[in-house]
Amino acid sequence: MATQCENPVVLTPAQLICSLEQAWMNEKFAPELLESKSEIVECVMEQLEHMEENLKRAKQGDLKISIHRMEVERIRYVLSSYLRCRLRKIEKYFPHILEKEKIRAEGEPSILSPEEFAFAKEYMANTENHLKNVALKHMPPNLQKVDFLKAVPKPNLDSFVFLRVKEKQENIMVMPEHDEQREYVIDLDENSQHLIRYKTIAPLVASGAVQLI
Amino acid sequence: MEAAEVEFLAEREMVTIIPNFSLDRIYLIGGELGPFNPGLPVEVPLWLAVNLKQRQKCRLVPPEWMDVEKLEQIRDQERKEDTFTPMPNPFYMELTKLLLNYAADNIPKADEIRTLVKDMWDTRIAKLRVSADSFVRQQEAHATLDNLTLMEINTTGAFLTQALDHMYKLRTNLQLGESVQSQDF
Repeated sequence: MATQCENPVVLTPAQLICSLEQAWMNEKFAPELLESKSEIVECVMEQLEHMEENLKRAKQGDLKISIHRMEVERIRYVLSSYLRCRLRKIEKYFPHILEKEKIRAEGEPSILSPEEFAFAKEYMANTENHLKNVALKHMPPNLQKVDFLKAVPKPNLDSFVFLRVKEKQENIMVMPEHDEQREYVIDLDENSQHLIRYKTIAPLVASGAVQLI
Repeated sequence: MEAAEVEFLAEREMVTIIPNFSLDRIYLIGGELGPFNPGLPVEVPLWLAVNLKQRQKCRLVPPEWMDVEKLEQIRDQERKEDTFTPMPNPFYMELTKLLLNYAADNIPKADEIRTLVKDMWDTRIAKLRVSADSFVRQQEAHATLDNLTLMEINTTGAFLTQALDHMYKLRTNLQLGESVQSQDF
């Protein structure tokens, strides 16, 4: 995990919380599982543990302590909501996520954190086992296999999302809705807000140029 | 995203309070606050302001825009124009609601402000419905939504995007059906 901590950009704790909130909102609105922000999660955890350590040592019943505690709880809420949201997506799309992980080229960053990867694999094994025990083993031998990739629906990348532009983008191709329309290009100005298909702007979400809202 | 979550985000907005206690500067993870001195205004995030107010440890100073005359202007502008006008604060609705619920005694003409903000909200939501309707009718693939706030997007957004997804599915299935007519049953 040493490589992940060599983040070239050093964030202040305030910026860190801000980037966690942005990751949280992106994850909530994106139809597919986004790249895991393990380094943010780890750094936030570290901050929280550090703060809780301090709070334990401090005098109880102090006004200051209760303010700190409230802040810690707010951050913890965002963090767990973020992680829960990812787990929900993993449970929903596990075959496709694992398949993507399998064909991932070496050196390319994984979209799963090591813990999430373990969870996904276990979830797959358990689901398979469960289906086998409940029904499949009573089936004729030629029907005892389930192809999860075909049985579980894929994330719908065509769905519409709302977004706010953080860095100006030019020449975004918009595909027509039906045959009579022609495709056209739009520019996304900084701070403007748009409603558009997720597929068209998915790379921009990943690079952080736009924020889903 | 649920309304409660949008409100959670709104609680980060800074507001001014006048504390009645003294406390040194505190170093939160999200930044430093204070120092707090009785009678001296200080900026804190809304979540803290509401909490301190509930414990009767401070008086709230309403934001500059939370003023009957200013809001009347904004409301009239909003009614006059067909597009969405810029709002004084990206979380104007949530701030109004929280401040008026917990600190109505610190805000002059609270009832009038409540009505004005509600009027603005209603006007904007009505506009949003009309534009969503024309968006769907014309089968557009892209729309610009400048000046809409997060709360406004989220009250109508989830329903609209789901509806669009369903329509898209129905339409693509139709096209698919045309191309593979000779399906054997």
